[in-house]
Amino acid sequence: MGIECVTLVAAAPSTIEKPDVRDDQTVAPDNPWVVLVWNDPINLMSYVTYVLQKLFGYSLQKATELMLDVHHKGKAVVSSGTREKAEMDVFRLHEHGLWATMQKDGATGDGSTGSGSTR
Amino acid sequence: MLDLDDEQRHLLRRLIGEVRELITSGASDDVKMRRLFPPAYTDDEELDTEYQRLMRDELVASRLSSISMVDEFLAATDGRAMSAVEVEAFASSLNAVRLILGTLLGVADDADEPEGPDFALYQYLSWLVDSAINALMTR
Repeated sequence: MGIECVTLVAAAPSTIEKPDVRDDQTVAPDNPWVVLVWNDPINLMSYVTYVLQKLFGYSLQKATELMLDVHHKGKAVVSSGTREKAEMDVFRLHEHGLWATMQKDGATGDGSTGSGSTR
Repeated sequence: MLDLDDEQRHLLRRLIGEVRELITSGASDDVKMRRLFPPAYTDDEELDTEYQRLMRDELVASRLSSISMVDEFLAATDGRAMSAVEVEAFASSLNAVRLILGTLLGVADDADEPEGPDFALYQYLSWLVDSAINALMTR
């Protein structure tokens, strides 16, 4: 499954990426909460990628991008929505041992909150 | 994948048993527990207290259920292969052991790797979790 995703995305990036980006941009105003996953030195890259794919249905490429953001930038926005949805997402991430928190989108003291969700 | 001999099974059962003991002990203000049950809200103590109150029992129950499933598999002697659900439970339960062990060992991104038998155990668990994830992703 993983290898197929990579091939598909490499062959036709626009068809895979567009819905994702559009979605993020249009839902942002109505979804004031974002869920962040923070870098930690213990969770394995493969494990984090798998959990993001499993919980949010992301492609291998999208999940890998988010995992690398977490790894290199210290954190990444992995989902957004109402407070109830965000809380459930945080719960499911905690179930899998990831270091996840939630906050209002654009909350001060977090410059990259918005950019993470529009990659 | 993951052909575990009796000694390995015994070791892994002991380790996940220790996680089970820890999370049912009622301890909460403990570095190990904080790693397994991190805050959801970092900028609002009141909301986080509420999250912990509502979700902690469910998180514990979810971990216990994974641990039981893995323990049952490791205790079995019929030599069958793990199902996909069991492989997932295996990865997440052993990852919980790693979270605790790594926290106690002070594993850090940019620090020198700790030495000694505990770190060897940590690396062994990392290898097992990675193998489980690879098996799930290449299914």
